[in-house]
Amino acid sequence: MGKRNKVVQIAILAVILIIGGFAIVPSLLQSNEVPVVGSSVPNIKLQELNGDIQSLSDYKGSIMVLNFWGTWCEPCKREMPAMQSAWEKWKDKGVYIVGINYGEDALVVSNFIEKMGVEFPMWLDSKKTAAKAFGIRPLPTTFFVQPDGKVHAIKQGEVTAEELDAYLMQMIDAASS
Amino acid sequence: MAFQNTKCECGHQNALGTVLCEHCGKPLTEENSSTEILEMRYDGVARKSQKANPGIIDRVWNFFSSVKIAVILIVITLIGASLGTIYPQESQFINLDASIYYKETYGTLGHIYYLLGLSHTYESWWFILLLVMIGASLVICSLDRVLPLYRALHKQKVRKHDQFLKRQRVVVDADLPEGIAGQEALEQIGSALKKKRYRLIAEDGALMAEKNRFSRWGPYINHIGLIIFLLAVLARSIPGWHMEYYAAFPQGTPQPIPDTSYYLQNDKFTVEYYSDEEMPEQFVEEGRIMPKLFETKATLFRCTADCDDPVKEPTLVEVAKHDIRVNDPLEYDGLMVYQYDFDLTPKLVAVKPVLKDASSGEVLGSFEVQMSNTASTYEIGPYTLELKEKYLDFTLDENGEPRTQSPEPNAPAFVFLVRGPGLEAHGEPYMYFPLQKDKLRFKENVLNKDIMQHIIIDVESMNDVTISDSKSYLNVRKDTALPWIWVGAAISMIGLVMGFYWQHRRMWLKLDGNHLVLGAHTNKNWYGLRHEVARVLQEISMEVDSKAIDRGGNKA
Repeated sequence: MGKRNKVVQIAILAVILIIGGFAIVPSLLQSNEVPVVGSSVPNIKLQELNGDIQSLSDYKGSIMVLNFWGTWCEPCKREMPAMQSAWEKWKDKGVYIVGINYGEDALVVSNFIEKMGVEFPMWLDSKKTAAKAFGIRPLPTTFFVQPDGKVHAIKQGEVTAEELDAYLMQMIDAASS
Repeated sequence: MAFQNTKCECGHQNALGTVLCEHCGKPLTEENSSTEILEMRYDGVARKSQKANPGIIDRVWNFFSSVKIAVILIVITLIGASLGTIYPQESQFINLDASIYYKETYGTLGHIYYLLGLSHTYESWWFILLLVMIGASLVICSLDRVLPLYRALHKQKVRKHDQFLKRQRVVVDADLPEGIAGQEALEQIGSALKKKRYRLIAEDGALMAEKNRFSRWGPYINHIGLIIFLLAVLARSIPGWHMEYYAAFPQGTPQPIPDTSYYLQNDKFTVEYYSDEEMPEQFVEEGRIMPKLFETKATLFRCTADCDDPVKEPTLVEVAKHDIRVNDPLEYDGLMVYQYDFDLTPKLVAVKPVLKDASSGEVLGSFEVQMSNTASTYEIGPYTLELKEKYLDFTLDENGEPRTQSPEPNAPAFVFLVRGPGLEAHGEPYMYFPLQKDKLRFKENVLNKDIMQHIIIDVESMNDVTISDSKSYLNVRKDTALPWIWVGAAISMIGLVMGFYWQHRRMWLKLDGNHLVLGAHTNKNWYGLRHEVARVLQEISMEVDSKAIDRGGNKA
């Protein structure tokens, strides 16, 4: 009787452990939360201004700066020159800077970047799915993403040229060490 | 306890922790001379967890088999659950930056509340862990008791030890009245008990009567219900089983419902207000406006293709239509969509102006300009319009440069490059403001002075303006586990009724010549039992005072 009891006991405890594990693990992982510093970025798929379909996962392995912006947003406009000069400075060193426009027409975006002299790639978040996946609230918001796809830093509001340089240097140092 | 001798004088070897001999009922743990009322819980059998040398598995088992631990777990859970009600939970907001909200709204305490993770108490790992532990405790506590109890009640001995009988709470220890033989007395008592729906087992000179044993299983059935209930609550964390989603649905645009293939469109939203006559005078004086009815005519679509395509519009198939009102949700495939709130601020969706010849006033044709995803070229009669610039909320910055000040079409402006008869070959610009107020404010006729001598773009009537005049806030819910919650609650209720409305009553009678010893036991309602004993003894003209045979006490 003792042996059979033991097997039953172990079986019951195992079932409780499995069910409990399934219940608790999702709450620990919080998988459908928006990305925070240290977590992985969600994969987004957007159309670039030139018509190409771009997928964020294709850029795994490069340092990325994702700049969420809109043409009506003054601080977005003010930080554009800093983004552009960072792009010119770092683009050949494995750094990819992308502007992600919040739901505006391609025409509006291309008029704007022409006027601003912006050359770094622009992705169009026409259905605002990327903004939702990244939990964007104020514009601009800039995500600094490491080559392994993890978020290094998030900057809400205008980014200065110094901040941009500092974050990029940190990520390049970390990637090369 | 480890040195306790568990062998009874009747020769039966009992398990460790046994209080009353499983065979004859003789108390094992006390002095023979004691006359106190017996501890009858679980019929005196050892619980499963009472073991001599517990290993790790046994220790875990023993931990959960303790009712004390169960009570502590329940109390901690109750405290935890009540903490979650101090401030609103994060999940109740449509769009919330929790890291700021709690600090701004509730100050430092609110911030501490957020940092402790209490803003999502019910999804937190520790709360779920508590639920799982209560579940484990329910299962193990029940099994630990129900199996030995079942065995004990399944193979009861009719003839019990004298001490077992005399130390029941209801005891009759007396000689039979004159003129009735022992066996005859037992038979008469037996038939009286049978009328009271007792089941009888007779043995030479002994009788056992029992009824409503099933009520002993009530608590365990209640526990099974609670376990199903708990499992259903935990099952909500299975992806796709539970959703509580609040969102704004602007009129006329299908909006995706996250984590499903469904899109919901607000076809038309209407709100009716109470008239002054219908409202209390006080409200009228205060100038209150009270909505009487709000209704969203909604269409539910299923996306069949291009659902995640970044460019293409999804292919939608209509699956359901419903007029959603408060407490009258749209229901489809486990989804329930409830009316929640509304916003009646009008929003421009599209205009359909006509192109007129300036001198003759002849209408050359019309074209539709959408505010979002605006088409880039339009052919109207002999003219071609190419969209060059677009500003949804037009203004001029400090340098006199045009810009938009918001993404909302509050003051839309379009710059078209127009080619056609009478115009320069490479085209001439036309700056078009759909709204009359903007035409005046930004002097459309001055800006377009030259080209307006040839053509005029204008809307003829308000019929040519598409306005989304409502946003309906809807609450989309999905709760696949809900039927199981009901099943669990129903089973639990059945168990409660079984345990509360019936009592398990037993009587043991033993004859020694002309001397009768009767012990009776129930798990509740001693009043009923002692009366029943007195009543059946009347059958053999044996008068006992029902109060006198109840020895009182608090041991069930």
